[in-house]
Amino acid sequence: MAEALQWARYHWRRLIGGATRDDDSRPYNYSSLLGCGRKSSQTPKLAGRHRIVVPYLQPFKDEYEKFSGAYVNNRIRTTKYTLLNFVPRNLFEQFHRAANLYFLFLVVLNWVPLVEAFQKEITMLPLVVVLTVIAIKDGLEDYRKYKIDKQINNLITKVYSRKEKKYIDRCWKDVTVGDFIRLSCNEVIPADMVLLFSTDPDGICHIETSGLDGESNLKQRQVVRGYAEQDSEVDPEKFSTRIECENPNNDLSRFRGFLEHSNKERVGLSKENLLLRGCTIRNTEAVVGIVVYAGHETKAMLNNSGPRYKRSKLERRANTDVLWCVMLLVIMCLTGSVGHGIWLSRYEKMHFFNNPEPDRRIISPLLAGFYMFWTMIILLQVLIPISLYVSIEIVKLGQIYFIQSDVDFYNEKTDSTVQCRALNIAEDLGQIQYLFSDKTGTLTENKMVFRRCSVAGFDYCHEENAKRLESYQEAVSEDEDFTDTLSGSLSNMAKPRAPSCRIVHNGLLGNKPSNRLAGSSFTLGSREGASEVLHSRQAAFSSPIETDVVADTRLLDKFSQITPWLFMPLDETIQNPLLETLYIIDFFIALAICNTVVVSAPNQPRQKIRHPSLGGLPIKSLEEIKSLFQRLSVRRSSSPSLNSGKEPSSGVPNAFVSRLPLFSRMKPASPVEEEISQVCESPQCSSSSACCTETEKQHSDAGLLNGKAESLPGQPMACNLCYEAESPDEAALVYAARAYQCTLQSRTPEQVMVDFAALGPLTFQLLHILPFDSVRKRMSVVVRHPLSNQVVVYTKGADSVIMELLSVASPDGASPEKQQMIIREKTQKHLDDYAKQGLRTLCIAKKVMSDTEYAEWLRNHFLAETSIDNREELLLESAMRLENKLTLLGATGIEDRLQEGVPESIEALHKAGIKIWMLTGDKQETAVNIAYACKLLDPDDKLFILNTQTKDACGMLMSTILKELQKKTQALPEQVSLSVDLHQPPVPQDSGLRAGLIITGKTLEFALHESLQKQFLELTSWCQAVVCCRATPLQKSEVVKLVRSHLQVMTLAIGDGANDVSMIQVADIGIGVSGQEGMQAVMASDFAVSQFKHLSKLLLVHGHWCYTRLSNMILYFFYKNVAYVNLLFWYQFFCGFSGTSMTDYWVLIFFNLLFTSAPPVIYGVLEKDVSAETLMQLPELYKSGQKSEAYLPHTFWITLLDAFYQSLVCFFVPYFTYQGSDIDIFAFGNPLNTAALFIILLHLVIESKSLTWIHMLVITGSILSYFLFAIVFGAMCVTCNPPSNPYWIMQEHMLDPVFYLVCILTMCIALLPRFVYRVLQGSLFPSPILRAKHFDRLTPEERTEALKKWRGAGNMNQETSNYANQSAGKSGRRPMPGPSAVFAMKSATSCAIEQGNLSLCETALDHGYSETKAFEMAGRCKD
Amino acid sequence: MEERPQHRLSRLPDNSALKQQELPAHRLYFTARRVLFVFFTTGIFCLCMGIILILSARSTQEIEINYTRICANCAKLRENASNFDKECTCSIPFYLSGKMMGNVYMYYKLYGFYQNLYRYVRSRSNRQLVGKDIKAVDDCAPFKMSDNKTPIVPCGAIANSMFNDTIILLHNINSSVQIKVPMLKSGLTWWTDKYVKFQNPSSKNLADEFRGTTKPPNWPKPIYDLEKKDPRNNGFLNDDFIVWMRAAAFPTFKKLYGRLNRTHHFIEGLPAGNYSFNITYNFPVTRFHGEKSVVLSTLTWCGGNSLFLGLAYTVTGAITWLASFAMMAIHIMLKNKKISVFHQ
Repeated sequence: MAEALQWARYHWRRLIGGATRDDDSRPYNYSSLLGCGRKSSQTPKLAGRHRIVVPYLQPFKDEYEKFSGAYVNNRIRTTKYTLLNFVPRNLFEQFHRAANLYFLFLVVLNWVPLVEAFQKEITMLPLVVVLTVIAIKDGLEDYRKYKIDKQINNLITKVYSRKEKKYIDRCWKDVTVGDFIRLSCNEVIPADMVLLFSTDPDGICHIETSGLDGESNLKQRQVVRGYAEQDSEVDPEKFSTRIECENPNNDLSRFRGFLEHSNKERVGLSKENLLLRGCTIRNTEAVVGIVVYAGHETKAMLNNSGPRYKRSKLERRANTDVLWCVMLLVIMCLTGSVGHGIWLSRYEKMHFFNNPEPDRRIISPLLAGFYMFWTMIILLQVLIPISLYVSIEIVKLGQIYFIQSDVDFYNEKTDSTVQCRALNIAEDLGQIQYLFSDKTGTLTENKMVFRRCSVAGFDYCHEENAKRLESYQEAVSEDEDFTDTLSGSLSNMAKPRAPSCRIVHNGLLGNKPSNRLAGSSFTLGSREGASEVLHSRQAAFSSPIETDVVADTRLLDKFSQITPWLFMPLDETIQNPLLETLYIIDFFIALAICNTVVVSAPNQPRQKIRHPSLGGLPIKSLEEIKSLFQRLSVRRSSSPSLNSGKEPSSGVPNAFVSRLPLFSRMKPASPVEEEISQVCESPQCSSSSACCTETEKQHSDAGLLNGKAESLPGQPMACNLCYEAESPDEAALVYAARAYQCTLQSRTPEQVMVDFAALGPLTFQLLHILPFDSVRKRMSVVVRHPLSNQVVVYTKGADSVIMELLSVASPDGASPEKQQMIIREKTQKHLDDYAKQGLRTLCIAKKVMSDTEYAEWLRNHFLAETSIDNREELLLESAMRLENKLTLLGATGIEDRLQEGVPESIEALHKAGIKIWMLTGDKQETAVNIAYACKLLDPDDKLFILNTQTKDACGMLMSTILKELQKKTQALPEQVSLSVDLHQPPVPQDSGLRAGLIITGKTLEFALHESLQKQFLELTSWCQAVVCCRATPLQKSEVVKLVRSHLQVMTLAIGDGANDVSMIQVADIGIGVSGQEGMQAVMASDFAVSQFKHLSKLLLVHGHWCYTRLSNMILYFFYKNVAYVNLLFWYQFFCGFSGTSMTDYWVLIFFNLLFTSAPPVIYGVLEKDVSAETLMQLPELYKSGQKSEAYLPHTFWITLLDAFYQSLVCFFVPYFTYQGSDIDIFAFGNPLNTAALFIILLHLVIESKSLTWIHMLVITGSILSYFLFAIVFGAMCVTCNPPSNPYWIMQEHMLDPVFYLVCILTMCIALLPRFVYRVLQGSLFPSPILRAKHFDRLTPEERTEALKKWRGAGNMNQETSNYANQSAGKSGRRPMPGPSAVFAMKSATSCAIEQGNLSLCETALDHGYSETKAFEMAGRCKD
Repeated sequence: MEERPQHRLSRLPDNSALKQQELPAHRLYFTARRVLFVFFTTGIFCLCMGIILILSARSTQEIEINYTRICANCAKLRENASNFDKECTCSIPFYLSGKMMGNVYMYYKLYGFYQNLYRYVRSRSNRQLVGKDIKAVDDCAPFKMSDNKTPIVPCGAIANSMFNDTIILLHNINSSVQIKVPMLKSGLTWWTDKYVKFQNPSSKNLADEFRGTTKPPNWPKPIYDLEKKDPRNNGFLNDDFIVWMRAAAFPTFKKLYGRLNRTHHFIEGLPAGNYSFNITYNFPVTRFHGEKSVVLSTLTWCGGNSLFLGLAYTVTGAITWLASFAMMAIHIMLKNKKISVFHQ
């Protein structure tokens, strides 16, 4: 009871909140509670926009009441109903549906005595049944939610109690804002809270957010500054701080606020300090936090929007036909009313039939006709197929159930299968015309594999590594013979214009057949692959293909030159080779530390490796550091600018270090390490033995350094470390660094430990991290270099961005500057090269700062960090101040491997007539290469590139291309006609010319402009494939929107990342790939798959099935209702249009509700026109769904005509038989009903393509239930149900041979036309679907034969079109450059795509490309 | 955020035939060859059935005499409602050319009488007719109560409009001798009607039971006086009444009036010769532009002499045969052209 009261109270508050929402422009409604009602006068102005949280404790009681008292508590309720309001609310919701309102209208109408047609109670029956069924469904769903809610609400957590002065167990639901909560390891966080204490000495806390976004890697959260340094736990009694933060919102990646101490000192809060509800504490013994958002205001709850409801195209189509049915109904009723009027006027003076009203009043024929109209509506109500909606819902549930239980969608690796999040658009899957795909993570695996790098202008192509990848792939997929041989032969023709190392590459692996010849390497490879697969199960973090990197020998050679002496201040004389070595060192250090990777060991999952030397050190607050810096900066003027990584003038930093124990923890505090490093400096510390000595060293470190001697039994070997990164390419770089003995050992907020082979363990003090964001497209770490003691900034980011931030060297500068210029040029060349290979490129740069510079920067940065309002802008500005004048170290090329089965899927979808657009944020070259690799573009395709700087140029270019395309098709009318195919109607884009369009982000912006939209769409309609590169998330959704709204086509968007969310939401169907990038895309999607290749089965098989099933079922429903209702209508012609029904009302109602309801549902769920196998083998069959062949407007009318015919037969055969006889009304109705039932059921049998025992069961069940009802009802009902009296009629009839004769004859005549039509269709002009259906009957051998023939027919057309294409090419403006122009394509696996000339059709307008600066995105930023 | 349920070991769906939609199914594929058999058999069945039905329908005999105009003077008399108590009889002689063998049934047939109007059909009280509560007249509007508020028995429009002509069939053996053809007034109804649906109140004296009620306005005498001689045919159990109360499906209908009592002279049916109907003309039909006639008919297993069913069967059979020949032609054509079904 108390619970119910609380619910009511909570709900009331929600209502108030909702009510005031309208006049309140604030975006988040829950908190508007604060600003409304009686509270508003007391609340400070600020509280309107910000939330103030005060501890829920005695001293602050008043304040608490004032601010936080009104906040929602932690109880959650996701249910829609309560016990009390279930009936009214459910009814209210149900009567929002037009169909139910129609029913209600009929019921009400029937209560008007003048127009009454049925007994009052009977008309209510369908409504009651429909309402009850749906109410039960809703109720059960809600009850399930209620149980889950209850379970969650009653979870126990430790909350600080004022009374007992300690943490006591309390239910989640009783947690309120301002409570202190103490959580232990592996506990789930009950509410959003600010982290105030962690047992971790560094003040960090690891959380797993898989409950929130599905990402399984650990994320770090940090204790609020100022609290991390406290040794003891936060004492809630003494906590006198007030927290001010933004109002509840659903942005998971943002939290802004500050903490105000009693002395008005403010500390900024960010998402790093916030523990989110639903996450799990890991790796941390215990944490304490104060609740800021609770219950429904937590970010997790605000993000939890339920399933989505869309209306499918088919349903829209059906709705228009329902309207036609309404028209028909009105016409029929008008006929009835006019007929009745005329009939009555014949007997105007004869009051015998003109049965007077109860009060003996006679009404005029006109009025009687008017009343009759409404009576007819009641009588013929079934014409509007209301039960259709209920049936559709049931059918869709069944379809979804079958989709979800398809084994083929199961992915073993992730233990996931397809997820249908939208319940009612499954049939849209069968009608997709345009597919918009993301690239990274969708087409590719998003498993980043380090492939190549360029350091200091030298390219290291890592052949061994490439070979390893090749062999791995061979083991995985061996059945790509066809494509392999093709690509092999093509690559032979490729011009070896690549740099030398690529030729080697080509020789080694470019040619798969040659690789095959070298049998030994092949077998070795496969064995390796197998073992790796095995290994991957154990490791579970990343697959071995990502973790194992084989070092490049040339680069390893250069490593031998590395000695710690390099950092000696005396080495000014050492020239270029050493400078290069320095670059290499910095490069790999940057790879290892410039990231946010968390280190853990696989045998002890989730156990952080903590370096012992860090244990127990006091942690200073940032304020202290800041003040120190300020003091320092006053005294020191400036330090010389450093750009070559050399030791700055000594002295001052040392002084600085000695003043700052925080920064100098390592050196002065640990003399032992100095010794060790000295040992290491000796020449015998060679790189080859580094690995083992290193670990030993570490152990000795552990023992020596830390007096507490925290024993680490599980200290893993260096090679066993596991890295958990936020993005897979970060991990790839760290693994790459590890391959070069530059191993990231541990990471804490203050320090990063790196084991560098030649230099020994290096501990970098982490001064600052500027995390990655998609605006800057880069990230930076600021560290203090342990050897040189300088402040160094390592930056990693998209090449376009980094290249602009490099220090501008004057041409007459010093030699290092000159060299930097050379490096830059060379690196740029390498970068272009990598991109052409389809690699993701990143640039690595560094910058050395003086301490003063750093202090100055830090001060500004600090200001930016603590501001609440426009913090983003300030932080961006601050980052800009830091990341400039960089020195380029090198670049990396990371391969994002294509997912398994992607080319096959794309090919199949192409064949199915789906136009595929790839929308990616990647560079043009990368995108084009991936497009070729996944067969999105064909080597024979004519490629157009749209890349212009201005809108006008864009328009001009488009019109030029269009003209050219039109010219070509006009020039070849014969070919066009030749390529016309039976199952490929001559649409312009199919006329033989295969073209692809590449468009870049900037140009896309022009093309999306209103004035060019039309032209752009026209252009794209000529192209099989369109690739948009460098597209922003917004552009992606705009493209989808444009195509969807202007071309009126069905669109599907598929993506895996947060950047695809908008696109997924805009498209008719959004599909999320549950991959590496979290769950945002999945959350926004209608369907979620685990791999792209599942898309082909989802569309080709399930889409086709769902569409044909549902459309056939809907048509059948229309047919059924019209056929049956018309019987009643025809009878009106013989009863003076008086609204008599010749059937008992119960039979009439049950006929629809019971006897004929189950078969169509079963038909809609189980019908299988063509087997899944055939559908997969013949993607062309999908086209029937695209053209909506199963349910065209005329199909509806044909169905109706057939229904009319059948009802005529069904009425008039018995009529003529019994004409003039002594048959009574209900005895006449009985054969009619019986024949109608059989006709309707047999019609279904004729229409269905396959019958299983379930069909048989349901059909016989329907027939039996009809007879059973008729017999039982006929025997029981003597006086019941006054007007109708079917007493003993069925029994009487079943002894009468005429009854059977009439039924049989009626059935034969009624079904003959449709049956004959189906037979003729089957033998004379079978549709492709019918022909394909025939395949399912064949034996396997016959089947392959038949398939071959089918394909042969298809290929003929293909050839014709190819011929047309080639001729078209010849007439083109720029002829294609012969065989050398063939783009050699490797199998996706090795991705060793060799580049000859792209068969591009470049125009004069697009050479501005290289200067394009806009929309360059970092490799990390996913398209 | 809903907390996740316990993590299952595997989400691998069930690999059963039903869930994978791999149930063994009978694939229906209609081509000319496959359905030939179906067409031929259907055709044969329909043709046979048709011939049998036609033959049996032709074996029946039926005589229908429309007496609307023949008894014009009576009709005129009845048009005025005030003449209801004036008796009017009319004799219709006719000649039966051949004898009617077997059971002969006498019907009266009405044209243009809509017994199937919605309000008309509803205007009856089954509870009253079953004899349980003779005062239950709720459903009988507008003939529920008489003007002095006594319930009408039997109430309702159907009962009120009951056909009340008396038809007597006379056999004129010669010009002077007329024999009344014996007609049975029993067995005209369904068994269930007579023994379940219609029951008199359980009392020996019907008049007592029906006291406190009034007769329908159109009736000349109360329900308990319908057949004074035979108590099993009186009151609600009167066969004519029961027959009338079964509302006809169409405006033109016939209702059984009597069946030949095959005794003495008529043991084999009606012999050929001169007959006449003596009709007491009570039921007005001209007011609703209707007609009435009297029918003598014999029956077979398949009902009366309606040829429709037989003809329809024959035609359907013929069409089916034609269709099957067309199918065969198509099949042969396809075969000759060696166009297989799936290769164009």
